[in-house]
Amino acid sequence: MLKQQFARRFLSICAAGLRTRRADWDRTGLMAETETKKVEATPAVFEPKIVAFVCNWCTYAGADLAGTSRLQYAPNVRIVKLPCTGRIDPLFILKAFEGGADAVLVSGCHPGDCHYTSGNYHARRRWAIFRRLLEFTGIDMRRVFFSWVSAAEGAKFADLINRITADVRAAGPFERTNPARRRLWK
Amino acid sequence: MEMIDALRADAAKVLADGRAKVVIGYQARGDHRAPLFVTTADRAASLVYDDACKQNLAVYLRKPEVKLLGKAAVVASPAAMRSLVLLMSESQLTGDDALVLAVGVGEYHGVLELAQVAPLLKEKYAALAPSPELLREIEKLAAKTPEERAAFWAKQFAKCTRCYACRAACPGCYCTRCIVEKNVPQWISTAAAGHGNYAWNVIRAFHLAGRCTGCGACEAACPQGIPLMLLNVLLGQEVEKEFETKAGYDPEAKPVIGSWNPEDEEDFIK
Repeated sequence: MLKQQFARRFLSICAAGLRTRRADWDRTGLMAETETKKVEATPAVFEPKIVAFVCNWCTYAGADLAGTSRLQYAPNVRIVKLPCTGRIDPLFILKAFEGGADAVLVSGCHPGDCHYTSGNYHARRRWAIFRRLLEFTGIDMRRVFFSWVSAAEGAKFADLINRITADVRAAGPFERTNPARRRLWK
Repeated sequence: MEMIDALRADAAKVLADGRAKVVIGYQARGDHRAPLFVTTADRAASLVYDDACKQNLAVYLRKPEVKLLGKAAVVASPAAMRSLVLLMSESQLTGDDALVLAVGVGEYHGVLELAQVAPLLKEKYAALAPSPELLREIEKLAAKTPEERAAFWAKQFAKCTRCYACRAACPGCYCTRCIVEKNVPQWISTAAAGHGNYAWNVIRAFHLAGRCTGCGACEAACPQGIPLMLLNVLLGQEVEKEFETKAGYDPEAKPVIGSWNPEDEEDFIK
C-alpha cells in the first residue's frame, strides 16, 4: 500500500515538474496529494512577466510620478531599481530571462541627463551590441526593450509599459522558446 | 621551405644574441601542432609553421610562468599579431615585452619589435576578413526565425562541457578571475547544461565584442566543435558597422565597450 502511494506520488511529482516551473514544482509537486492534481489551466488572456531595469534618477522617478499622478499602467512589470543604466550588466538581462521573464525593459536617463555624467552613454554602446548577440542566439527584439524616460515623463512611462505589455502579450509566452530559461534536469 | 628556414634561423639568432630568452613557436606532433618553447639556439630547428598551426601563441605572453623564462619572441600570424596589438591597447603588453617572428600570408616578415607590428598590419593586412563560408553561415542563421536560431544554439550549447578551453586559448580572455568563477553571487551557473551553457557562451562572446581579432583559436580549441566563431565574427561585424572600428590595429585604441561617444546611434532606444 505504502509502496503504491509512493509510486503515485513520485509520478505526480514528475508530471508536475515537467509542466511547471521550479517554484511551482516545489509547491505543487512536493505537496501533491496521491490524487493527480490538475495543473492550472493557462488563463484566457496571457499575462506577461516583464522585468524592468531602471535607473534611480530618471526612470524610477518617472515611474513614481506615474504613480503619484494616478496614471494607470499594466501591472505586468516588475521594476528593479539600479543606481544608473551604466550599472546594468548584460548578465542582469540574461538572469531575468533565466528566471522566466517574458520580456525585459531597460530604461534610464536621456542622453546628457545622466546623474553620473556618462553612465547612459556607456550603457547605450553596450546594448547596441548586446541586443545583436541576443537576437542572433534566439532572444529576439520582441522581448527586449530599451527606453529613455526622464523623471518628468510619468505619462511616457505609463504609455511605455502599456505598449510593451500589449506587444509582449501579442508575442505570447516565452516559456517554451526561451533559450536562456532555467529548466529542470532531464 | 624557405620561409621556415628563415624563421628557424631568426629564432636561433635572437636566442644566440640574447635578444630573447625564449622563442614561442610550434612543433609538429603528427598532424597536430603543439606549442614549443625554445630556450637554446640549437633547438630552433624543431620549429615548424604551416596552416595546421591554429593556436594563438600570444596567449602565453601574459602567463606568469612564461614571464619567468625572460623576454619572449613569439611566432605570430597576422591574426595573432592583431592580438598583440589588442594587448598593447589594453596595457597588457608594453613596447619591449616581446619580440615577434612575424609570419604573414605566404611570406615571412622577420623579427619585429612590438612597435613595428601595428604599422605592418595596417600596411599589409588591413583587409583581413573572415572566410566567406563563415560569413555565409552567419547570414543564413540570421535569416532564420528567432525560434530556429534558439534551437540551433540550444543544440550547439548542449554539447558544451564547460572545460573553458575557449577561454584558455584566447589572448583576450586574461582576467585573473573570470566572471564564471565568481560565485558571490553566482551569475552564471557552472553546471554543464541548459541556461548555464547559454549564459556562459553568450557572455564569453560579449566580453570579446570589439576585442576579438578573429584568430579562431577558441573554436579550434573547443573539443566539442561548437562554432564559436559565428558569435565572435557576428559581434565583430556589428562593432565595425556601429562604431567603425576593428580590434587589433591601433595600439592606442580605446576599448569599444567601455568608451562612448555622444553621437552614437540610438534608434533602437524608444
